[in-house]
Amino acid sequence: MVSVAFLNPLSDKAEQIVRDIGDLSKIYDKNSDLIHAVDTSKSQSMSDNQNIPENYVELAIKRMEWYIKKKNDKNYNYKDYAFLFNREITRFDVVAFFILAQAIGIKFNSNSRESKLFVDLQGNIIEERLEELSISERRDVCQKILDELILQDNVKWTFLEEILSSKKISLHELILDKGEIILDKEDFLERFSDKISHRNPERMYELLIGDPVKELIMIKMIMQKTEDYVKKVNEMSQKVEPHPYLLEVGEKISKILSENIKYYTTSHGGMKGFKLNSEAFPPCIKLTLNGVESGNRNDAIVLLLTSFLSYARLYPSIFRDNVSVKISDVDPELKITQNEILPLIYDAAQRCNPPLFDDDPQEKLNITAKLGFGVHELPEIKNEGESKWYTPMSCDKIKIHLPALCKPDKTCKKIGNPLSYYKSKSWQLNKQGDNKEKSSKDKDKNNVDKSKSDQDNVNKVINPSPDKSVKNTKEADTLNGSDFN
Amino acid sequence: MNEPATLQERRRYYREEWNVKKLPDFIKEGMEQREFGFDHLGKGPNDRYRIFRSLEYLKRFMRYKSPFAAYCSVAFYDKPFKRADWIKSELIFDVDAKDIPIRTCMCDNVCEVCLGEAKEIVSGLIDTLKGDLGLKDIHVIYSGRGYHLRVLDETVMKMDSDIRAQILKYLVGSEVPRSEYGTEGEKYQLEHFSIPFGYPKVFTQRFKYAVLHLTPNIEMENISPALFKKVLKNRTYLLTDEWGLFRKNIGPINYKKLVKEIGALNMGLVDAKVSIDLKRILRLPTSLHSKVSMKCMEVQNIEKFDPFKEAVPKFVYERDD
Repeated sequence: MVSVAFLNPLSDKAEQIVRDIGDLSKIYDKNSDLIHAVDTSKSQSMSDNQNIPENYVELAIKRMEWYIKKKNDKNYNYKDYAFLFNREITRFDVVAFFILAQAIGIKFNSNSRESKLFVDLQGNIIEERLEELSISERRDVCQKILDELILQDNVKWTFLEEILSSKKISLHELILDKGEIILDKEDFLERFSDKISHRNPERMYELLIGDPVKELIMIKMIMQKTEDYVKKVNEMSQKVEPHPYLLEVGEKISKILSENIKYYTTSHGGMKGFKLNSEAFPPCIKLTLNGVESGNRNDAIVLLLTSFLSYARLYPSIFRDNVSVKISDVDPELKITQNEILPLIYDAAQRCNPPLFDDDPQEKLNITAKLGFGVHELPEIKNEGESKWYTPMSCDKIKIHLPALCKPDKTCKKIGNPLSYYKSKSWQLNKQGDNKEKSSKDKDKNNVDKSKSDQDNVNKVINPSPDKSVKNTKEADTLNGSDFN
Repeated sequence: MNEPATLQERRRYYREEWNVKKLPDFIKEGMEQREFGFDHLGKGPNDRYRIFRSLEYLKRFMRYKSPFAAYCSVAFYDKPFKRADWIKSELIFDVDAKDIPIRTCMCDNVCEVCLGEAKEIVSGLIDTLKGDLGLKDIHVIYSGRGYHLRVLDETVMKMDSDIRAQILKYLVGSEVPRSEYGTEGEKYQLEHFSIPFGYPKVFTQRFKYAVLHLTPNIEMENISPALFKKVLKNRTYLLTDEWGLFRKNIGPINYKKLVKEIGALNMGLVDAKVSIDLKRILRLPTSLHSKVSMKCMEVQNIEKFDPFKEAVPKFVYERDD
């Protein structure tokens, strides 16, 4: 029988395990039981000793390493980490989970990429562990966990408020009736059998709800609880002196994550940073740069433009690579952020009607927060990670929050996010540019007006040097956004 | 619709017809925690951050100022005079007859037909709010040009904009339900119309309403004129719920396109910005919508409500034509 702690490290059973064996002073001690569990894991690769965790801390680090490799490494090999899916690892894994959760909670903010990665990792590990179980084991353990997580018989959809808010689940994915989420088969049949014709109600239950929805809710609830736990640790760590071992693990996580993200994103060619090409901006961004009317200003500048310009300039491939990056990974001294990105955002803010900072000077703090540097006047490395570097809102969200800015053109039809538009259009423009250049070279090699071509490039590219950014800011009072085009 | 109310008419209304005691209870209770706003010149609310500690103060203010329009916040604050220390907000759905994406009347402003259609939409939303989401304490307000649905159920009043957006999408049927379901490694096709409960049912109802109300002037981006004609020709099947025939006749690929377009169109049934805004001010029930000379009022029975009988202030009947 599989233990609930194998899937839910925050269950009562798991907490009991931690109470019994989770002595912080021993987390670096070599643990022969752990080594044995790893050694005897089915399919475990034994070719490299480095694959074998020998103590709790190494197991905790292996958990992180597994997820990063699985997400990013083309040569990822399941067999290197097969022990993570062996149920015999449960009692060690639970301790490793708490070491990670506490180390992350102590060192990083709950909005940090480290916390986010840890929560995602937990969701993923549960999914993969479920795959290793038989159907009856899966069903049994899932029901037990749900019974523990949801105390009442009928769970109201409002009970999942946090999960819905974080978009881990969408409301329309659930079967609702009179405010309750229908999960139980008997309940389903009682409520809907009469309404179903030409189909077997039991089959309908299996298809529409059955195991997948229950498992989905279980996984998302554990992810939410993991997030809440990290947050709680973070709050506690302000009051209680953390254990030095946990601080050490926090450092290790930070190092591993930075090195790995740099390695994988650079090898994909994603983290280079590109000069902005305003010709490739989608209509909503062009309109925002022109200045926005009262009512839409705050959302347009703070939520849309800030994230769009920062990612377009620093890391336009974020959606393709699907990694958690910090601005300092690409712009270590924040020179690009301070000298290129912020002046463009501030200029657009001042072009609003009335100028945004005249009414809401505190929005500068919000802009800094959306770049991942917490609520401060300007981005500074020491504050990085206090908040999340927000990715640009999707087209769907723009339609709801900023309908006045959504004036789709042909390219918009193919994409779901302004940043994807920018990537696609930049590529098209580059291709056209290359072809044009090639044909003009073929026609008349001697008649290339180099100075004009340079001037064209200056017009196309927004890349003010530190000096130019000052000039741009001053000119903004007399220019409208079309000067960017 | 009526002509705008003059200052004299506004004064008459607030001094002779309006009664502060007739404010709905949900406004009167906790009134001191709401922000009030006023439009004195007919150019939009320019007098904001006002608070009223008692009905008597509000009564005096309205009588003395006879504003062009009066509003109060959907939010409750500890410091409403600063719009600070937010406590909670009503959940709002604003159906403006003028802005419904599919209107059979094609009038320039609003008329009996589109107001009737707005009412039909509102009734559908209420059914889903109660039936699927199990919400209570729902108030319908005739705004003067449409309807406001104001939900004061405590279970939703602290919810953030993201969940409100999800509720909105669920209610209007803007997300296309999946049609592929799997169990134990096998996949099955199940179209929304063959699932008579939950969100698929909501989507089916909204889809049916939209298709049955389509008019030739409606433009849908990815629907060719030929397909549009086909839809109009075959939509009578929906009256008798012969969905299979409807889908077959327009073709499964075309059906997929249509479903997506109608989902997008449905997003316009309700003003989304109002629903997600936690600090919105909304027209005060019992106040005068001076632009159209109609009363903004709570509706007790939406089925029987006739704005042209119940929401017309006395001064309109006494106007010289």
